[in-house]
Amino acid sequence: MSTAMNFGTKSFKPRPPDKGSFPLDHFGECKSFKEKFMKCLRDNSFDNSKCRLQSKDYLECRMDNQLMTKEPMEKLGFKDLMDPPPSQADRDAKP
Amino acid sequence: MVSFLGCLAYRCDSAVTAMSLSLLLHPSICCTQASVLLAQCVRTLHSCAPKTLHSQTGHFLQRRFPPRFQVRNRSRKTRSQEEEWKKKNKTVLTYIAAAGVGMIGLSYAAVPLYRLYCQASGLGGMAVAGHDTDQVETMKPVKGRIIKVTFNADTHASIQWNFKPQQTEIYVVPGETALAFYRAKNPTDKPIIGISTYNVVPFEAGQYFNKIQCFCFEEQRLNPHEEVDMPVFFYIDPDFDEDPRMARVDTITLSYTFFEAKEGQKLPLPGYSYQ
Repeated sequence: MSTAMNFGTKSFKPRPPDKGSFPLDHFGECKSFKEKFMKCLRDNSFDNSKCRLQSKDYLECRMDNQLMTKEPMEKLGFKDLMDPPPSQADRDAKP
Repeated sequence: MVSFLGCLAYRCDSAVTAMSLSLLLHPSICCTQASVLLAQCVRTLHSCAPKTLHSQTGHFLQRRFPPRFQVRNRSRKTRSQEEEWKKKNKTVLTYIAAAGVGMIGLSYAAVPLYRLYCQASGLGGMAVAGHDTDQVETMKPVKGRIIKVTFNADTHASIQWNFKPQQTEIYVVPGETALAFYRAKNPTDKPIIGISTYNVVPFEAGQYFNKIQCFCFEEQRLNPHEEVDMPVFFYIDPDFDEDPRMARVDTITLSYTFFEAKEGQKLPLPGYSYQ
């Protein structure tokens, strides 16, 4: 791609990931979560929005096994999958 | 002086042209005619000369010794006019010189200014300045726009890993984080260290493709006969939906390529360097 003498065209510039690199899961500690996620994807014709819970579980597994730095799930875009705060739950419980 | 020359030129010119014309047409007959004309020319010369010469010299003398009063007025006028012109010329010259220096300065200043502009507007796929991780927390998925992300895996010829994606495609919407997996296997009997880079096609969409975490740009070591899952956690910027250039883009291809890393080799990380 970069071998042609295209001085006017914009070329792709790879960017490093925001949170760095995933350490490799050499011992397959989170393999079961991964399998669940892949199965969900295959069942839902690879629609990511339907399998977000499984991806959240996989990332939580990684964090538990020190394969990923611990971070609150909201920061990873899973705000909608978190449990609602207790005050809201009480309000919902009231008739 | 001028009148004298004019008179001469006129008379003789006509004679000369007439002569030349007649010579061209009738070379034999014209000799006598030509001589007559020439004599006429000389006579006019003699007649012209004294009168005009006299008048010219008189005029000349008059110009050299004019009455004093007139001299002062005229020279003062011309001198002040000349001074004014000189001043005007100087100011114009300084303006032009300043403009020239300004242009040269601008051309030097344009380099960092353009870089700043590119960072702010994100043209050319460069790192956008307002690219913070808090956006992940606050962004809202754009439900109406479904994008297909296809995955491609390549290895360099020298690396003996088996590297392939675990899903061929995945459907995401901008603003939603997504997870995808690649698998790598080392079939050989010795550990191999690999390092990867990625590419996004179409590359204008590359500036909207943000990876939160992946396995690229760092050395990954695979032991003999080991197989690992390599995840990529990414999202597409919600501004993707608002970019008119991306209106027809429905498929984004993410392509990873693995290279073998030699011991002690340090590959430069693609940071926010100005390339």
